[in-house]
Amino acid sequence: MDAKLDNIPRAETLHYLAWHGTPLTEELEKDLDRCEAMILETAQPRLVWRLFTLEADGRFSGTDYVPGGTDVGIFLSGCEQVVLLAATLGVEAENLIRRAQVRNMADAIILDAAGSAAIETVCDTFCRELAEKLAPRYLTERFSPGYGDYPLTDQRVIFRLLDVSRRIGVNLTESDLMIPQKSVTALIGVSDTPHKYRQSGCESCSGRFTCAYRKEGKTCGKL
Amino acid sequence: MENSDILILDGAMGTMLQAAGLKTEELPETWNITHPERVAEIHRRYLEAGSRVLYTNTFGANRRKAAGCGYTPAELIRGAVRCAREAAGTQSVKIALDIGPIGQLLEPLGDLGFEEAYDIFREMVTAGEEAGADLVVFETMSDLYEVKAAVLAAKENTKLPVWTTMTFEANGRSFLGVTVPAMALTLTGLGVDALGFNCSLGPKELLPMAEELREWTDLPLILKPNAGLPDPATGEYRITPAEFAAELRKALPLGVFALGGCCGTTPDFIRTLCETLECAEPAAQKAVRRHGVCCAVGTAEMSGVRVVGERINPTGKKRFQQALRERDFHYIVRQGIEQQDAGAEILDVNVGLPGVDEVVLMRETVKALQAAVDLPLQIDSSDPAAIEVGLRVYNGKAIVNSVNGRQEVLEAVLPLCKKYGAAVVGLCMDENGIPRTAAGRVEIAERILRAAESYGIPQQDVYIDCLTLTVSAQQEQAMETLKAVQMVKETLGLHTTLGVSNISFGLPAREIISASFLSQALYAGLDIPIINPNQSTMMDAVAAFRALSGQDGDCEDYIRRFSRAKTPGQSLSKTDRRLSIQEAILRGLGRETALLTEEALREMDELAVIERLLIPALDEVGDRYERQELFLPQLIKAANAACVGFELIKKRIACRGGQTLSRGKILLATVQGDIHDIGKNIVKVVLENYGYTVLDLGRDVPPKRIVETAVRENVHLVGLSALMTTTVPSMAETIAQLRQSGHSCKIMVGGAVLTPEYADEIGADFYAKDAKQSADIAKQVLG
Repeated sequence: MDAKLDNIPRAETLHYLAWHGTPLTEELEKDLDRCEAMILETAQPRLVWRLFTLEADGRFSGTDYVPGGTDVGIFLSGCEQVVLLAATLGVEAENLIRRAQVRNMADAIILDAAGSAAIETVCDTFCRELAEKLAPRYLTERFSPGYGDYPLTDQRVIFRLLDVSRRIGVNLTESDLMIPQKSVTALIGVSDTPHKYRQSGCESCSGRFTCAYRKEGKTCGKL
Repeated sequence: MENSDILILDGAMGTMLQAAGLKTEELPETWNITHPERVAEIHRRYLEAGSRVLYTNTFGANRRKAAGCGYTPAELIRGAVRCAREAAGTQSVKIALDIGPIGQLLEPLGDLGFEEAYDIFREMVTAGEEAGADLVVFETMSDLYEVKAAVLAAKENTKLPVWTTMTFEANGRSFLGVTVPAMALTLTGLGVDALGFNCSLGPKELLPMAEELREWTDLPLILKPNAGLPDPATGEYRITPAEFAAELRKALPLGVFALGGCCGTTPDFIRTLCETLECAEPAAQKAVRRHGVCCAVGTAEMSGVRVVGERINPTGKKRFQQALRERDFHYIVRQGIEQQDAGAEILDVNVGLPGVDEVVLMRETVKALQAAVDLPLQIDSSDPAAIEVGLRVYNGKAIVNSVNGRQEVLEAVLPLCKKYGAAVVGLCMDENGIPRTAAGRVEIAERILRAAESYGIPQQDVYIDCLTLTVSAQQEQAMETLKAVQMVKETLGLHTTLGVSNISFGLPAREIISASFLSQALYAGLDIPIINPNQSTMMDAVAAFRALSGQDGDCEDYIRRFSRAKTPGQSLSKTDRRLSIQEAILRGLGRETALLTEEALREMDELAVIERLLIPALDEVGDRYERQELFLPQLIKAANAACVGFELIKKRIACRGGQTLSRGKILLATVQGDIHDIGKNIVKVVLENYGYTVLDLGRDVPPKRIVETAVRENVHLVGLSALMTTTVPSMAETIAQLRQSGHSCKIMVGGAVLTPEYADEIGADFYAKDAKQSADIAKQVLG
């Protein structure tokens, strides 16, 4: 399954922009169209994934890896297998957003939101295809380092397990953040029964670092 | 199994180690110490298959990847070279110290400094040389800047030959957007001994890229592709050894130097490759056809006319001088962007001004420009130290502007051009001044060419400037310059450059003389005009020449340029006239704001325009944003429009030589460990548009630097941003250090994870929930 990105849902872009529901001006609609089109044109979405069987002691099959923290264990309870995913929009979109911050900050803000919406779309599409492929089995939501008590330091192991840097060109900073920033790593549990566990709240949202609702002490209401 | 002169490399190490039991989460290099016999066994199998160069198991043996593995890079490297030597025994094989990417991205996208990367590579190459490696190979690189740090580290600290192979994607670029010509020009310039590709793709997909590479370099070529493309579902490589060898054989006409395999290849692949090549004759190497200069992602090929933008230069520009003194790189970068948009293909960079540290300014300007502009740079200075620092931190192949016929200048600057692989501009003047005749100038040009060649700088990298003199002062010299251009072109076969604008100094309607002189110079053979691309008459002349000379095939660009809709004139239409500044700003209309500001300045002084018109408009915007009638992008648009008004006023004041109008200085930084800086950048735009001077230290900024800058620049309001729970402690540490320093300042903090309570707890004075509030705080603290 390749990374796919055909369109960016407008609602998602507005969501990352913390839109309050005031009517959009014609001019703003045009800006949104233009910025989303730029992301679609520039992004080079790539992904890499691997299916592991969960050993009785929590290890990923063929490795010694047991995710850190207790939340992943709870999240994956009842799952026999787990898919490890890494996806990115590529460095081109990153440059587009960074450079817009010098040229035109208003565009940069919309591009940044459209980029977040785009990488989530890439992951959503992947998960949909994965669900079809693995049917009739069930998939959990995505769970990423930084959610709950799943430590960011686990990124280093995930990067080695998937050979992320070499395969899709994502790198980690000294403090284990991903560059390009519009990148995602996640676990997706696979089970024979629909999963009961569902993370709720902002801690499990990939927009949690930049979410404007959150800054105002509100939530978007999605989770 | 000796075959033709093509050197046979080995195949994959990682694939073989995993087959031998290496776990994916283990650092492969630790096996050099824990399982040396298994590593040596892999080398032995490649030797038996026909490999004549063994790559050591040191791909990731750098200080960063090896952290916590229990061994130092030097120990891992010593162990690795020992394994290879042991396998080689008495056979005549070369041992290549294999070095892959550091695994952390360099600035400007990443958080690793260029000099830090250099130091990481230095540690590895010196350890490799001490351990007895025969050469060093940097492979699987996708960042040209990282390769440059690596190559400099090897060449400055060891005597080892340097091979370099990079990894490209199916779109013909590396993950970081590096193009094949940029790789070829930069690495050939840096003096590597061989270059090529590894990993990336299969041999079939790599062939067209190898062909392109051959057009741009005459260095020995290396190909070490994967065993085809991996199956997307399983990640396994599916091409057979025979297919692999047959495809690689097709590269022989390019005159390849060394062949081997990367991911998915095994000793079987190498054996089959040897057999396939046994009776193959390596082809004679073709001469390089193409040359030019480049940045990492773009090339200015020297064929036809290439426009150099002259605007990044303080001479006679008060506003630019002010920006340099204030280290306002944002302003400088905008000059670069504007010229790129206007059609410049190379940017001249001159930051020399009495009373400034040109070396520091050159370093920072080059870094800032290459982060924002996709054009090659021309480092313009008379100070060899500034030239060197510019060339060192530049990511690509630059031009040096300039040397002249004076011996001491040639001796000081040409070695730098050679070392960093830059092209060089030679001015036709020497200790006796500028010769009055064309013949005299050509003579100096020839002397410069011979000197360049004596340092090993190829002829095609020497660009001659026959010097434009002012026609109003030395009228007969205009034709002499044109004659010299023609002679340099014909007798020496060199590219020529000219600073064109000087011709019209002191005359009215300067653009007419300049454009006319430009057209004539282009006809005389000028390749690289240095002009102001923002003047459309100049770019029109270039467009016309390209059409007339056939460079612009079917006049396509010319037609596109002039069939574009006319831009609206520089006056307000009737409907616009009813617009107030406030409305223009609210609607984010920059052009209208500028015109209305100009109008207002006829009746009021600058301060009054700011205080009575611009600031109240911004306040209104802020209020509407608070009431959620405006949405963030609209707030920023309005702020940008106001900025156009402020910039106009700044320029007027700078031209008068007056004091900078600023409501006060504010330092902004995203704290150490955090790279999410868009929030900080939004705050910056808003604060600047409210008339404050912002010292932006960027992202991932160590506490020490923040304290030092606050003290040195005497800043009394510091804004810190953090977006991650994990970096809030770093913010607390910064605040603690600011307080400890005894420097009196207020601190405001912001970022997604912060709350007013948290801000209080870590000792901040203010919590800013958004950009608007940070402006309110600034007003409260600084007025």
